[in-house]
Amino acid sequence: MSSFDLINMALRNLWKRKLRTFLTVLGVIIGTASIVVMISVGIGMNVGYRQQIEEMGSLYVINVNAPYSSDSNSKEKVQIDTASLEKFRKIEGVEAVTPVLQEYFTLIDGRYVYDTSIMGILPETMEAMGLDVSTGRTLQEGDSMAVVLSAYAKTGFYNPKLSWQYRWNGSQSIEIDPYNDKFQITYDNNYGTKQMDKSIKPKKIQVVGEMKENGQNSYYTVMPIADVEKIVAEREKYQKSKGQTTNTNKKKGVYNSAMVKADDIDSVERIQQELKDMGFETYSLVDYLKQTQETSKMLQMVLGAIGAISLIVAAIGIANTMVMSIYERTREIGVMKVIGATVSDIRRLFLTEAAFIGFMGGLTGVAISYGVSKIINVVGVNMGRQTLSAIPIWLGILGIIFATFVGVAAGFFPAVRATKLSALAAIKTE
Amino acid sequence: MSEDIIKLRNLKKIYRMGDEKIAAVNNVTLNFERGTVTCLLGKSGSGKSTLLNLISGLEKPTKGEIIIKGLHVERMDETQLAKFRQQYIGFVFQSYNLLGNLTALENVTLPLIFKRVGIKERKERAMEMLKAVGLEKRASHKPSQLSGGQQQRVSIARAFVNNPEIVFADEPTGNLDTKTTYQMMDLMMGLSGKNKQTLIIVTHDMEISDYAQRIVHLSDGRIERIEYNSESIKHSNELGKARREEVK
Ligand SMILES: Nc1ncnc2c1ncn2[C@@H]1O[C@H](COP(=O)(O)OP(=O)(O)O)[C@@H](O)[C@H]1O
Ligand SMILES: [Mg+2]
Repeated sequence: MSSFDLINMALRNLWKRKLRTFLTVLGVIIGTASIVVMISVGIGMNVGYRQQIEEMGSLYVINVNAPYSSDSNSKEKVQIDTASLEKFRKIEGVEAVTPVLQEYFTLIDGRYVYDTSIMGILPETMEAMGLDVSTGRTLQEGDSMAVVLSAYAKTGFYNPKLSWQYRWNGSQSIEIDPYNDKFQITYDNNYGTKQMDKSIKPKKIQVVGEMKENGQNSYYTVMPIADVEKIVAEREKYQKSKGQTTNTNKKKGVYNSAMVKADDIDSVERIQQELKDMGFETYSLVDYLKQTQETSKMLQMVLGAIGAISLIVAAIGIANTMVMSIYERTREIGVMKVIGATVSDIRRLFLTEAAFIGFMGGLTGVAISYGVSKIINVVGVNMGRQTLSAIPIWLGILGIIFATFVGVAAGFFPAVRATKLSALAAIKTE
Repeated sequence: MSEDIIKLRNLKKIYRMGDEKIAAVNNVTLNFERGTVTCLLGKSGSGKSTLLNLISGLEKPTKGEIIIKGLHVERMDETQLAKFRQQYIGFVFQSYNLLGNLTALENVTLPLIFKRVGIKERKERAMEMLKAVGLEKRASHKPSQLSGGQQQRVSIARAFVNNPEIVFADEPTGNLDTKTTYQMMDLMMGLSGKNKQTLIIVTHDMEISDYAQRIVHLSDGRIERIEYNSESIKHSNELGKARREEVK
């Protein structure tokens, strides 16, 4: 019997018992849809995590730190300096490198001040490092005494003359105009209070942009590293003149951290490993992404297993339908055998019918899953999550194949049973 | 001299019912000449059906040999039997045994489908057969829309569509009235005569046996006697017509 005839006959047999076929297929639809939707939620969480993480910053950027205490007996001191930065640039897949200097300065806008963490970087690398702005622009090559304000600066300025209690609660929020106000910067964190040292002269500074919110670097005010170094040098001079110990024991040209941008997400891990091999400590959002992926993989498996139970129930339904069908068609099977059907013809016929039940259930189930996934995501958006459920194409195709396979597996025992029927006994059945 | 297409040697079939043994077919040795019509005649329970089923390989003998075209049927496995039936054998049953969800044409086509005959050819052949049994206008009818006689015609068309060398018929007219019985017999005689097919008909009806050249009387699973019919209806159309007139 040719495959064409086999399929034709199988479909006709299924069509003849429409209602039963439909109910059996319905079981598979529910089974497939619950597996696919369950797994899609697992995957969706993954996608959601990723979106959240990407929001935090670029997945391509690796933060590099010098080890806290480098081995005293190691000949070469592991530190981030011009030489090692040059080595970083030479690693394959590295697109940009910048040293990072972190400080804590005070910004001045007229009567108001804002204490901010400063990140000093090479201005031309700002865009590459994924330090996105919400307004204005990122720092560019040639920028000097320019800053991109912290995302929280707008609401962070306060009147330093007021006592602590009134700074935050008492007064209304202070309106600042980042692009028209005149800003100054100082290392004197007591500026404007009674303890301020008038001899410390703040420097004029220009705001060119504001950091995007919700990123891991949003609270930084970003400055060209050269400017930061200049201010730090002045502070050291000031502190020495006062006989104070300097609070940075920083040698010039040595930094405590750096940022490295990879050209591809897949190179991130490799570059990180190379940096680690050089003795540096590294951290990237990919590390974090990996962790969340592990978690969601577990979740996917648990959810998938829950969905699988309903598909197992559907498989039992298919087996039941096929066995019933064999009882009903005993005579028909006998007749077919007598007029020349081979054992394999009979087996293939039943397997094909079972496979079709699985296939149709799988196809419809996956189609419904896409719909359910849409609905879940609409609800998710209302709940403030971007993606709750995602069905990649491979999952859809796998769902259909799996359902078909379940059909064949469930039909196997009944099919073998059908072939074992004696042709004669089958004909004698009334 | 014509050859013997079927040879039975000491054929025995014993059914066990608890402690009791029933010899449904007991030591039958018999040959069937190619192109002849043989009638197995006997009372109900005399072992006619069992003998037929043994010859066609539907049942395995307890003892003895069945040699068809030089092949030992009793030694074949299921697959070999299926191929063997596709190739050489046609069946007509008392209860027609048509498939209810297929049309008349599709029922006739079925043996050709199992034999993997191409779509176009098998449709032509099946249609030709339906024409031969006078049902070309009912080709797309389902069995439930046909009378008993018409269903049996479809079943006859199905048995002959493969142009098998041997056709078995177990009480083919058992469910039909006398007039239809004669029509059916004439039809089978006509079809088998055309291609020199070997026909074995089981019946308990003496009238039908008139069509055969040889009548094998069975009793308790044994051959009681063999009768040769020099004036079988097959050879004498006169007689056939006369009978049909009688019925009318
Ligand atoms: N499957 C079976 N099991 C037990 N006994 C059987 C079976 N088939 C037939 N018989 C017995 O074998 C004998 C012959 O039966 P059968 O060949 O059907 O007779 P006929 O066709 O001549 O009426 C009967 O006594 C019947 O009861
Ligand atoms: Mg009988």
